[in-house]
Amino acid sequence: MADSYSQTNLLSIRNLTKRYGALTAVDNVSLEIRPGEIFALLGVNGAGKTTMIGCITGMISRFEGRIEVAGYDVRRDYRVTRQLVGLVPQELNFDGFFPTAETLRYQGGYFGERGNRERAGLLLETFALAEKARENTRKLSGGMKRRLMVCKALMHQPALLFLDEPTAGVDVDLREELWNYISGLRDTGTTIVLTTHYLEEAENLADRIGIVNRGRLLRVDSRDNLMRAFGRRWIEVRLSAPVPSGLLERLDDLHPETPARDRLRISFSESAHHASGDGAPVKRLMQAIQNAGLEVETL
Amino acid sequence: MNSSHPTYAGNLQSEGDQTIATSRTDDGAPAPAAEAAARRHIAAVERRALGNRGWRGTWMLFRRELARFMKVAGQTIVSPVLTTILWFIVFGYSLGSRLDEIQGIPYVDFLVPGLIMLNLINNSFLNTGFSLFISKIHGSVVDVLLTPLTPLQLIIGYTAASLLRALIIGGLIWLVAGLMGASTLHNPAFTLTFMILTSLAFALFGLVVSILAEDFDHINLFPSFLLMPLTFLGGVFYSLEMLPPPWDSISLVNPILYMVNGLRYGMTGVSDVPVGFGLLLVAGSVAVFGATAAYLLATGKKLRE
Repeated sequence: MADSYSQTNLLSIRNLTKRYGALTAVDNVSLEIRPGEIFALLGVNGAGKTTMIGCITGMISRFEGRIEVAGYDVRRDYRVTRQLVGLVPQELNFDGFFPTAETLRYQGGYFGERGNRERAGLLLETFALAEKARENTRKLSGGMKRRLMVCKALMHQPALLFLDEPTAGVDVDLREELWNYISGLRDTGTTIVLTTHYLEEAENLADRIGIVNRGRLLRVDSRDNLMRAFGRRWIEVRLSAPVPSGLLERLDDLHPETPARDRLRISFSESAHHASGDGAPVKRLMQAIQNAGLEVETL
Repeated sequence: MNSSHPTYAGNLQSEGDQTIATSRTDDGAPAPAAEAAARRHIAAVERRALGNRGWRGTWMLFRRELARFMKVAGQTIVSPVLTTILWFIVFGYSLGSRLDEIQGIPYVDFLVPGLIMLNLINNSFLNTGFSLFISKIHGSVVDVLLTPLTPLQLIIGYTAASLLRALIIGGLIWLVAGLMGASTLHNPAFTLTFMILTSLAFALFGLVVSILAEDFDHINLFPSFLLMPLTFLGGVFYSLEMLPPPWDSISLVNPILYMVNGLRYGMTGVSDVPVGFGLLLVAGSVAVFGATAAYLLATGKKLRE
């Protein structure tokens, strides 16, 4: 067998439909995932993202259509595809019987892996859980349980990792660490599909984004194309006096617009909106207005 | 998380946007380096997957199940053994000494197989039932369902541990009873075969019930309202000959009667009912519950959607 996978796509979904009675949770979805990319399924809760992932990972076995991972059918060749795929489910789960390190060793073992003790230790350290290695999983906080779930999914070193709402209920610090980790994981060879309802998360991480609504995949495009189309925020202020030209020059790189003589409007990306420090657009706008000796009448 | 552990953070050279800039391109295609790393990784996992027959995973599932009940051995092993020894002392010695021989053997000897059967049935059922059901409740059953293990391998992993628990308990009671003077070594090979088959049947039954169960009551229902009464009425403490009509005839439809008597035959050589039928019944139960469990796991009913 070759040392390098040669097909174009790692995951191929053809006309996937999943019905629950009258409800069509996933409606004729086709999608290809390339090796080495980070793909985000973006959509509100209940859009069908988790159902799609369930069909690929084997949690849902009755569906219409065809799903292949590395050319293997997820139903017929599940023994191969489940080894290729890893899943971090959205719902927090825990075992309750074993300490974290032991849980991880069993998890790797189920996949026939060796060296689970070392790998568990490394993952626990990477995810800042090393000091909880001997603690029962029941006693971990919510954030720790989520990190443990990521560790569990990584124990068998999957080639395609699914993260279902990886940062739901996670605080800001941990979220950024997780993002960094996810991009690092991709750089070392793991292809990643994540679901999220945060545009910001998709924008920060993904190479390509698929927008899901009511079970349908409405649009798949590169992050940059989609962001140009959707991912903008804007702010408009009415000032106490007409906008002076010096102010516009100072904000030149934010491309300010003046819909009226006393109105100033800037738009910026989702990620810039969440940036902190003096570079943040809203902060710069306010600073510039203040420096010009003007006041904001309405926002 | 990433900065101090470069092993997994891999090519991360700096934090934040710069990292992203190095690993993705404008048109949404992964950067060539990331794609090449991914292609190597996929090929490596595919090779491992094709070489994995699942038996090591089955062994790990068995080890996990074994570790689970051993962690709470006070409840799962010591408690049933102690309780049974108490019964044995109370019924076998204090009350039994007032009874004559039953079917030509001392009452103590008559009692031991029944008490062992009661424990085999309860513990093999509860071990698989409780373990799988609680992981359903906690959601951690996905950890097992997402593995490459086949339905047969899942069944083996779960039931082998149950079987072992039942045999440890049965063996301990047998041993203690022997030390206290009970004579129960009529046919050890038949005894062991019968113990294994019965435990397997109820381990598989527990697996089926836990897959179908939707709350704890469903798991507790069977031991309390079905297994315990049928076992008690199945001749643990008495011989059919001691029952007045029509109860002696009605008892014959109780399947556990044949199991108790089968084990009693193996240990003491006496039985109220044909032993061959008992053996057939437990073997048949293994087949029926095994096939049901395999069907449920293969179709994913109640576990996968």
